[in-house]
Amino acid sequence: MKHIGKYWAIFKTQILNTLAYPAELAWRSLSIILFLWVFANLWRVAYRAEGSGLLNGIALKDMLWYLMLAETIELGKPRLARVMADAVKDGSVAYLLNKPYHFLLYHLSAGMGESLIRGSMTALFGGTIVWLMMGPPPDPRGWPLAAAGVLGAWLLHFCVNALIGLAAFISEEVAPYEWIYQKLVFILGGLFIPLDLYPLWLQNLSHYLPFAYMLYGPARLFIAPDIGLFLNVIGGQIFWLTTLGTLLFLSYNRGVRRLAINGG
Amino acid sequence: MIKRQIPFLFALWKANLQAAMEYRGAFLTQVLGMMLNNAVYFVFWILFFDRFKQINGWNLNDMFLLFGIAAGSFGLGVFLFGNAIFLGEIIAKGRLDYYLSLPRPVLLHALASRSVTSGLGDFTYGIISFMLAGQIGWDNTARFFLGLVSATAVFVGFMILAQSLAFWLGNSSALAQLALNAIITFALYPISLFDNTAKFLLFTLVPAAFMGAIPAGFVRSFSWSALAQLTLAAIVFLGLATLVFQRGLRRYESGSAIQTEI
Repeated sequence: MKHIGKYWAIFKTQILNTLAYPAELAWRSLSIILFLWVFANLWRVAYRAEGSGLLNGIALKDMLWYLMLAETIELGKPRLARVMADAVKDGSVAYLLNKPYHFLLYHLSAGMGESLIRGSMTALFGGTIVWLMMGPPPDPRGWPLAAAGVLGAWLLHFCVNALIGLAAFISEEVAPYEWIYQKLVFILGGLFIPLDLYPLWLQNLSHYLPFAYMLYGPARLFIAPDIGLFLNVIGGQIFWLTTLGTLLFLSYNRGVRRLAINGG
Repeated sequence: MIKRQIPFLFALWKANLQAAMEYRGAFLTQVLGMMLNNAVYFVFWILFFDRFKQINGWNLNDMFLLFGIAAGSFGLGVFLFGNAIFLGEIIAKGRLDYYLSLPRPVLLHALASRSVTSGLGDFTYGIISFMLAGQIGWDNTARFFLGLVSATAVFVGFMILAQSLAFWLGNSSALAQLALNAIITFALYPISLFDNTAKFLLFTLVPAAFMGAIPAGFVRSFSWSALAQLTLAAIVFLGLATLVFQRGLRRYESGSAIQTEI
């Protein structure tokens, strides 16, 4: 319990830090309005071109609510790769290593605190614009299922982001890995198009990879809550969290053994 | 006056390139990484047009062309004038002192003192994307590079305007980031998606049309009107940016901090 208490304190401190600059927080969250407005224009034209009110069973309104949640997950996710890589490269990782908490759990607590606030603010702006353009959100009874999916998605993002950050132990520059990972999530996670609209071979491939559980799963749950889908999403997230989490802790332990810090 | 600055500009670019090449591994990772990043992003449009074939008269080849211009101009802008996207931070932190103390044009010197290495990856990807659009006659190629120069000028001008808000607002990095997101997002989508009000905004407030659709249309087929629009937009946005920066500079207050620019 004592152990959880300190990470809870870090989580709360990060929430306060993020809230300390409300104007900056609001400006950064406004980007979702741009993205959703562009998507609304794009998909309106696409639905018109298809001559149907439904695309693979998804109505235009649901499509926009899907995109809203997918964007919220993406824009609110923990972005720690750069911070961790810098800490490794400039040696400031040493400052955290000799403190009475685990380096990875410290970053996890701080990252989730920031994600909670950024994600909530982004969802607020995104939800407002979609509501104004398309009408009310999906059935609120599905929201808790989607919220659980969002939490799992952010934990998965943390694992991959931290792995990229720790790559600084062996690589001069980690930013490109972060860019490419982000774009893989965009495409194989279904950020712009729900996976249902992909060619069958790509849909099948996506379901064998972690990306679908980072965006598509929670966003699909939001517009079409279903206990079967929920169990599938959570099951997939648990499997990938176990795999990526193990890999992360192994990489961290190996990296720390390689660490050489010169002077103070 | 302008003639004197050209060798200076080339000297800065050479120094930036040498600095970036000092770490070959990181340099190549960033350039190739950015090209791969853009290619993966473009898969979205391949999937989209696989399903819908065309959207309001735009097809996949048009998107290759649009990406060629947008990625190429962004890359060229941040590779040659990297501080265009960091100017607000320099102003807010009082780091203009360094440039003010030297006998060179402050804005030009500040802009070209930094090079974003990954921009070279964007620029190269832009050229590849143009070639994939299947319009590589000598006249299209000449128009592509002309369009690229104009789009770069509009992009850099717009960034200077957005970043110069720091003279009045102090730390306005989030607002400048929003402006950057806006121009890139709108430049990467077919302009035919938007209604007339939105189009008006894309020609004025956020001039994304001049960083994507207008130069892309000009590459497809020559028209005097498009050429005039591109030339005028480049002159207006760069002129306005210089004017606003100079006005802002009068409000600039030094932090009196000891600093070195490396």
